Amino acid sequence: MEKRNIKIEIEDKLHDEILRSNLERFSEQYPAARAKAYANVESIEALRDDLKEMKSYSVSHIEKLADQFQESLEKRGAKVFRAKDGEALKRQLLEICRENDVHNIVKSKSMATEEIRLNDYLEEQGLHVKETDLGEWMLSVAGQHPSHMVMPAIHLNRNQCAKFFSDELKEDIPSDIPFMVQTARRVMRKEFLKADMGISGANFGIAENGAIGLVTNEGNARIVTTMPPIHVIIIGYEKLIPKISDASKIMRLLPRNGTGQRMVSYLTLVDGPTPIIHEKNGKMVEENKKVYAILLDNGRLKAAHDPVMKEVYQCVRCASCLNVCPIWSTVGGNVYGHIYSGGIGAILTGLLNSMDDFAQFSDLCIGCRRCTTVCPGKINIPDLIQELRNRRVAEKGLSLPEKLIFQKIMTNRKIFHTLLRTASIGQKPVKSGKFIRNLPLFFAKMTEGRSLPAIADKPFRDRANDLFKNNPSSAKMKVAFFSGCNLDFVFPQTGESVVKVLQDIGAEVIYPQDQNCCGKPIIGAGDLETARKLAMQNIEALEKANADYIVAACPTCAETLKQTYKELFAHDRIWLERAENLSKKIREFTSLVEMSYAKNKRLKTTHGAEKITYHDSCHMRRSLDIYKEPRRLLEAAPGYDYVEMDGADQCCGMAGSFGMKYADLSVQLLNRKIHNIKESGAQTIAVACPACMMQIGGGLDKNAPEIKIKHIADILAENISD
Amino acid sequence: MRKVSHEWQKYLQKGFIDKKYWNDFKENAQAASVELKEVKNYEDAMPIIEDIIAGAEASRLAAVGGGESEELSRIYKNLGQKYQVYTDKFEIARNAPSVDIGISTAEFGVGETGSICVDNYSYEARVATMLPPINIVFMNKNNVVDTMTDAFEILEQVFDKGYTGFVTGPSRTSDIERVLTLGVHGPSRLILFAVDGME
Ligand code: SF4
Ligand code: SF4
Repeated sequence: MEKRNIKIEIEDKLHDEILRSNLERFSEQYPAARAKAYANVESIEALRDDLKEMKSYSVSHIEKLADQFQESLEKRGAKVFRAKDGEALKRQLLEICRENDVHNIVKSKSMATEEIRLNDYLEEQGLHVKETDLGEWMLSVAGQHPSHMVMPAIHLNRNQCAKFFSDELKEDIPSDIPFMVQTARRVMRKEFLKADMGISGANFGIAENGAIGLVTNEGNARIVTTMPPIHVIIIGYEKLIPKISDASKIMRLLPRNGTGQRMVSYLTLVDGPTPIIHEKNGKMVEENKKVYAILLDNGRLKAAHDPVMKEVYQCVRCASCLNVCPIWSTVGGNVYGHIYSGGIGAILTGLLNSMDDFAQFSDLCIGCRRCTTVCPGKINIPDLIQELRNRRVAEKGLSLPEKLIFQKIMTNRKIFHTLLRTASIGQKPVKSGKFIRNLPLFFAKMTEGRSLPAIADKPFRDRANDLFKNNPSSAKMKVAFFSGCNLDFVFPQTGESVVKVLQDIGAEVIYPQDQNCCGKPIIGAGDLETARKLAMQNIEALEKANADYIVAACPTCAETLKQTYKELFAHDRIWLERAENLSKKIREFTSLVEMSYAKNKRLKTTHGAEKITYHDSCHMRRSLDIYKEPRRLLEAAPGYDYVEMDGADQCCGMAGSFGMKYADLSVQLLNRKIHNIKESGAQTIAVACPACMMQIGGGLDKNAPEIKIKHIADILAENISD
Repeated sequence: MRKVSHEWQKYLQKGFIDKKYWNDFKENAQAASVELKEVKNYEDAMPIIEDIIAGAEASRLAAVGGGESEELSRIYKNLGQKYQVYTDKFEIARNAPSVDIGISTAEFGVGETGSICVDNYSYEARVATMLPPINIVFMNKNNVVDTMTDAFEILEQVFDKGYTGFVTGPSRTSDIERVLTLGVHGPSRLILFAVDGME
């Protein structure tokens, strides 16, 4: 494993103006391009389901498909080998080269060969190898890695490209794009004509007849598989599909998602040896090409038999998960693994390269779940990343400060809360940076571009009893309020608003004092053992409350209590049952209030004097699927005029400890958000998540102090008389 | 000429093709930069081809598919009187890297995407369509299917081995600054003649 300093790499990328503007432009244009490509299909969801189903069938029959694929190809006259890893593949390929006296090789794009660094090896063996995809060719000349699976050179501009052309061809190539493309055509044509072997990957391999599918816009794969007398296919097991007709399930999604095209220029299907006409001993002859296929394992079969990780077989390498990822679109693909980038890249690197490599950039997924809304194979990328993190922690353990904080402090509510209270006096409890980042975020000091709020002098838990004097005398329901750390210790006034609004809809509100942190930071770090301890404490405290509903005004807490606790206790029948009972009672604040307002006809749209907009928290929007309710409440809030802003559902950059560890990157995401808020013309931005409130509030404070930020509870409480 | 199948038409007629998909095909093909020419018959294509040849200052052509269609073969003969037209597979193989235009055929079109399905089992068909800067293709205008799902249903029945696939516009790249540029490895122009009365 290469030891890397990801923080410094990120720093570099944040200062790479070319990269930044290329990515920014692209990620702005991508969603519309994708939508347009899908405009003529009835249901994207149905297509995604078809693909997912076909691919999950394939992975559960992977050995059978591999045997069938091999048999089909052999029957048609090809030779098929299997390679358990990169070394085995290289040896096999070299033997084929030697046997056939091969000197010049042309390649069309194959990520599997990049994964095992095949080109370096072949060149060391004295073979002449040329990538023919324009982007890959430029990168190979430049000695760089692709930063995107579909647009490998998206991080470069035309001047940089012209320089690579000039260096390689030893002539002065101007930075004129059509000229460069024509030059590439001219140069590569010569390579095609002299090549004695073509190596291709495969976008899919069909078991029933042994055909492979190759997807390109340039058409290089067609020439690679046509002109040289030998064709070697290098294909990973995950590309195998049962039937010819299954290919359409990939092809209706891959180009639309990948490049916003309804179809790529060339979808080529090659099956077995095909004729070639060439000169032999001064005479033109027609004969069959030699075709070899090598099935690459390199961790794939193990993944296929892993009940969780087998989901990666649903990936068709369209890269759309990168295109929508807030992290990728800020720092590009080179900070991930050396080939596969973005969230899916982290997973593939962990499975196909090594877990040590994975661990270096595994926290570059902030769990915003945007990728899960577009992925054609419906892969739960953030969940798979979390699973790998958990396994890593189970194997290697936590770092020392994390261990201390999670296992010794946070599980002991009294110590934890005493520490928080002390923090409110000193505001600088422990100076160690590591310590700070692992605690809930409010320990952090001021950072550049964003101020972070202080710990309140009096936490919510000390104010609760006074508030409950205002409980309605004849209550319609009994609600236990789960504040979470942020509303308890940072925004206790918002906690008060929550209570006021709940009382106003007829609820008797109580506050179980034994509640602790929901455990999300610990779950995120992968320490499930400690998380279970916290979960048990909370389940016990909340059961005792004997309430009809348990309300959280923090979507992360709501999700953790409602969903994650059940997962934590999947193998513990007794606690699972308790978690399930709890789950049924959990309500996210706005959705409960909205239901009551709707019932009591309190949702009439108003147009007050003050413009207000809304930011969707990632967890609220994509985990809880709550986005209509807060908008309806705001549209009806007296005194306000609701406007929608651009990119309302884009992550604000907070996302747990990520916001601290990669502060600069987090601020970049935040700046984009602030920009969109300003553009909307709103004087107030409403949120339903205290963590977003902290992050965006800090950014506004620095950059647009005239704009106010309020939790929806605060806005609703304003309109309720005392 | 060697083909994946000589019976495409038989399968297409199992309820896959319909004239009603033409408009979709046209829209999507044009969006993918296909230069679409709708003609009543082969004769009508002649003057257009001559214009193309003149406009491109072309003189040497590689033409495949004449063996399967008398009308196409007549066109090639006519063109051969004015220009150098290679129709023999060995001649095509030898000259494809340097000819100006390749002429070929497509089996059917796909409404959903504007793609054409090409049967390129033979080597001469592949080099004639990929190496020259211009590719002219003839297709029966009535042979359009609805979706890619239908297209692959047909392949499910037809494709046992060889070389086939779909072409959707000319060769293109966006690898430099995402600026669309045509003709990187394959043709920069794909000109499709959709012939009305073609059987
Ligand atoms: S969950 Fe968000 S941050 Fe993680 S990979 Fe997906 S889009 Fe990127
Ligand atoms: S994980 Fe999904 S979105 Fe990402 S490359 Fe694979 S198929 Fe595409």
